[in-house]
This record gives sequence, structure tokens and C-alpha cells, in this order.
Amino acid sequence: MDKFVVNIIHRPEMVPEYSATVTGHGKEEDIGDKALLTESLDIFKTQQECAHKNGLKTTIQMTYASLFNEEAVQLAKEHHEKYGDEIALTLLGLPCEQFREKYKTKDFCIWMFSMEDKMAIVDDVFAKFHDIFGFYPESTGSYYMDAELINYIKDKYPSVKCAVATCWEEGPKAYHTCNNSWYTFMDGGPWAPWIPSKQNTHAPAANAAEDSGIVAIPHLSRDLIACYDGNGSNFGTHPQNVLRGMIYDSKTWEFPYLYNLIDQYRYLAKFNNGYAYNMMFVGPGWMNKMGRWEAPYELLLKSYEEGCAYYGQLKKEGKLADMTMAEFADYYRSKKGVDDGNYNEPECALWRDILYGSQKQLFWYADPYMRVCVNMDQGGAIVDLRPYVAKLNWPVGIGTKHIQDASYPFLIQEKYRAGYFTHYAGEGTVRSAKICHNGEEVDLCLCRTKAHFSQEGKNRILTLDPVEIEFRDCNVTIQSVITFEEGSSKIRIDRNILSVSDPDAEITINEYMVGCYGTTEYTEDMSSLSLSLTGSNPTTIPYEYKCREACLADADSASCTLPPIETKVSMECDGRDKCGYIKEGYAFSPMFTIGYTGSLKDKEVFTTWLNLEKAN
Amino acid sequence: MAQSGKGKLNYRCPACFKRDLDIDMFYDKEKKQYYCIRCQFFGTEEEVLAENETVRSKYKDYLKRYTSFEDFD
Repeated sequence: MDKFVVNIIHRPEMVPEYSATVTGHGKEEDIGDKALLTESLDIFKTQQECAHKNGLKTTIQMTYASLFNEEAVQLAKEHHEKYGDEIALTLLGLPCEQFREKYKTKDFCIWMFSMEDKMAIVDDVFAKFHDIFGFYPESTGSYYMDAELINYIKDKYPSVKCAVATCWEEGPKAYHTCNNSWYTFMDGGPWAPWIPSKQNTHAPAANAAEDSGIVAIPHLSRDLIACYDGNGSNFGTHPQNVLRGMIYDSKTWEFPYLYNLIDQYRYLAKFNNGYAYNMMFVGPGWMNKMGRWEAPYELLLKSYEEGCAYYGQLKKEGKLADMTMAEFADYYRSKKGVDDGNYNEPECALWRDILYGSQKQLFWYADPYMRVCVNMDQGGAIVDLRPYVAKLNWPVGIGTKHIQDASYPFLIQEKYRAGYFTHYAGEGTVRSAKICHNGEEVDLCLCRTKAHFSQEGKNRILTLDPVEIEFRDCNVTIQSVITFEEGSSKIRIDRNILSVSDPDAEITINEYMVGCYGTTEYTEDMSSLSLSLTGSNPTTIPYEYKCREACLADADSASCTLPPIETKVSMECDGRDKCGYIKEGYAFSPMFTIGYTGSLKDKEVFTTWLNLEKAN
Repeated sequence: MAQSGKGKLNYRCPACFKRDLDIDMFYDKEKKQYYCIRCQFFGTEEEVLAENETVRSKYKDYLKRYTSFEDFD
């Protein structure tokens, strides 16, 4: 039977984000404001009550500030005894008088501190927690937890087995939404729980040696279309986020979208061997008595009460299991086969639009070697690709090269580096194919379709509905099949010609990937890249923005090596008249292209494999 | 002219919201007007609320309750 698990997390935050700065507009900052502390605790109590009255247990993530508050501590102890809530420790909510006095800074994001400060703060809050409760926590978290931080915590406090470790796709989009003032750059991670590798939090561990020892959960469960395209903070399992997105009826205050989102996550059990997951974590600042943006307090409260009520209803119907974070960590390792040594079971999500009415469909795939997004509205093109295989060492925080930028680099990202469509000249990042006949060319990106998921042994298979391509003198019906073989670090794509109106017509195909690397919209220096063709007459083009091209008949592979992200991406092919090629790009189009051309007739198949490797 | 402040709620600029920007507006009590400090939008509370309804027009299914995630008809 399918199992849908929810983690409901609350934190008693004595100085809630936004409360002091936004709703406290017009007042001098007073981080010890007694009225603020009282209200914050009241919100925490309300949230706990909402969960408990619906029969749901919670994980109480104590903040540093709350450890100095006797009432908050007492409440946590009582609720642990009475409801089975887990008492955990978050690294959010650091700001308070004691913290400011000690660390002399207004920084509050743990991953942005220097490593020295990270260790000092962790030791400080864990010791304080131990003083208060007499044990170390099993769960912790922040909006992001970098690998060095997780490794330190796990080494020093081995009881920790679960952590909130990223906000899915909270990067440049969230920054822009906040008028370029929200410095949480952490795109490129998994959207559902995973076991972070010791080398890079985003990249799941491939084996026991890489296992960081914790199970990571995302901060909220996000809409895998809406958040990919838009502001992440409007489209998650956070009822007030849905209000932030104005996704409710302003007259009736109804918000069916939240339930659609939860239900679609339940549906993902179909792609993950009967397991699905949700996380709800609303900071108290979102239930401020003064309201939040357009939403008065009454609506904020209604949304949270009804959100909890829906999870409670699912539990009563036997459709949901509520767990604490620590309970979930044990369940996850067992369910995913990690306890038996298998780290390769992927996370899959065939996701449909439930908000805009577009009927668009994306497929998300993540394993220890890659994260991939396939867009059915673009004929099954790969529109986002993160090479986890590199397990890129990417320290963040003050004193590192990446003080704020914790995102895992992409090879393909259609939103930041264009996809199929570009203005005037050049190309955008995408993995697609062009079908050609008698001088006409059609890119499969313009063939809207739908996909069907299946699993055969270790293969997850995406079978797309056939698409028809109309040329002047013949029509071609093509079906794409995309196969992810567990643990292979490869993506296989078969293009099957199902029919041609003229059986003698010769069709040519151009399978291509346009790529680059980066974490933002802005281009990086491509000078260290090199492109290669292997086979009977190998060729290499060092990237110098000179717009050079090379091709090789019957090539064994076409590849690009990207030293800045320690990644090699290559394509191999099995098809008639195959010819590998590489393209360098130029300053106005700082991309690279690898691909194969070949020939096809009715009933023939053209197969390519996209391979990802770590390049040292 | 006295300084501007916040209104009774933190209304965001609907014009900026449509381009994925969350910008709180400020309230000019003399003109009884909310205004955006980033773009040129201004309006009364009623006008802001009316604009917020147009924001929702991109969410064609925001009031629909899905019962299946496979059917596309």
C-alpha cells in the first residue's frame, strides 16, 4: 500500500522573520521587545494546537532564542510527553539579544558564516540545548545546510540523523522577487528527501563512503512547475505562501490549490515505489496578528487551521502517516533500500500544471549522479540538468569563494540561459533534436506532447505520446522514449519513426545538447572548457569563443569537459550514418554544443546516450 | 507634506507583482493613495484591490479542485 508521509514542523521563534522589520515599520528596532516575544510564543502555541487537534504530531525545532525562554522550553517538554512531538533544534531563529551580544553580527543564515563561526555557533546552540533538555537533538536544519556544516555536526553530535537542508529552487528567482534583497541562492537540489553526500549537500550520496549520515528534507514541498518558473515562496505546502501568491478567492477565502498541491504530492507515490512525502513548516512570522501583506490575521489563521485539518483528514482516512523528522529518517533509509546498501534508487516526479490551466507536464528525476527536468511541452527536451556525478566541493560562507551562492551548478537551465527560444542570434541551453527533410527543419521543442511513466527493473522509462511533423512533401510520426538506468549516470533517448507518409522519404536527425555552466543568469568564463570528438580521427577544440565547429563520421563520442565544475558531458550514438559534432560558441552566444546527426527511414530508430562523468 | 507610512495591511504593488516582484507599497494619507517606490503605480485601496483581482487572471485553475492528475481533458 502507498505511504504518504508528512513532517509538520514548528519553531518557537522569539523574533520572527518579518515581524520586527516589516510589520514593525515605523518603530526603532528592539530585538528584545517583550510584546513581540509574547506574540511569537502565542503563534507557536496556536500552530501546535492546530496540529494536535487534528491528531498530528509535530517536530518542535527549538530556536537558539527560545532556549532562553522558560515557557517555550516547558511547552516543548509537555508536548513531547503528551503528543509524542520530537524536540529538535533549528539553526534558524538565531537572532536575539544573547546572540547579538555574543557574535556581534546581524547575520542569521548559518551557511553564510565563516567555518570558524559555524562551528562556534553550532557548539553554542547544541550545548545550550543539552543544558536545557539533557540530551542532544536527533534533528536540526536551516534553509540551507552546506556539506561542511553537516559533516561537522554529524561528527560532533552523531545523534543527529535528519535535517532540513535546502529550499527547492530558492535562488535567483527568489532574490529577484524580493527586489534583490533575499540572499538565499540554493537552486539545484532535490525537491524531496535525500541523503546528502559528504562532498556536496545537494548531490545525494552514491554509497556508504559518501553518506553524510543524515537524511535531508527540503524546506516545504514545492510545486514542481510553478516554483521552477516563478517565485518559490508562492507555491509550496505552506498555506500562507499560497496566500502570498494570491492563490485564493478574495471573497470566500477558499484556496483549493493548496489541496491540489498536497494531493499531487500524494500521487507521486506512483513513481517512487509507493512512497510520497510532504513537509509543512510555517515560521511564526507568517501568522502575525497584524496580518501579512494583503491577508488579515483571520485569513492567515484560517489557512493554517484548514491546512492542518486536511492532513488530519487524510490521516483519519488512512492515507497519511504523520512522523517526526527522526522517525522519518529511519523510515526513509529503510524504504529507499539504503539500509541494504542501495543508494541509487532515484526520486521521480511526473508533474502536471495544477494552477495555470496550461496542461503542461514536467518530469523530474534525481539520483546520486544527476538531477534532470524533462519538458513534455517541448517535445521531451531536457531543460534543466545538474551533474551531481561531480560531487562538487563547493564551500559557502564568509571566507570562501561562494559566500552566498550555495546553488549546484547547471549544464542546462532554460530559464537562466535561454532554452529553445533566443533573441536575434545564438542558442540557449537545451537537449533536444531537430528533424530535417529536403531543406526543412523542425525542432522537437515545438512538438507539445505528454508522457507516461513506467518502471522495468532498474530502468525508469518515460514514453512520450507520438508527435507528427509536417513537411511540405511528407508527414513523419515520431515517438521519443527516454530511459534512466539506475546508477548508470546516463540518459538514453530513442527516437522511433512510427510512420512516414512517403515510405521512401529519407529523414535526417540532429540530436544535440547546447550547454554551458553556472548558477545564475549571467555567463561564466568558458575559456577553460574543451570540446572533443573521439573515433578514427579524434579532434579537440579548446574553447576560445571562435565559433569553430568539427564533425567526425562514425564518432565514438562527442564531449565537453568543464574544469570549473569538474564535469565531463558526452554523447554516444547508435544510428544509421551517425556523425558526431562539436561547436564552440562565441561571445554573444557563450555556449557549447555536442551532438550527432544521422539518417532515418520509416520504422527505424536513432538512439543516443547522454553521459555525465566527474572530470578531475 | 508628512512622511508616508504603511496602510492597515501591507499591500504590495500589483504592477510589480505581475512581474514577480513583491514590493510593499507605502501610503500617502494626504492623497489617500498607495504608491510604489519602485515603479509608477499608485491607487486608492479600492483600485489596489481591483488590480489584485487581475493578478489572479494568470491562475486559470486556482479555484479548480483536481481529482485526477493523469487526465488532461
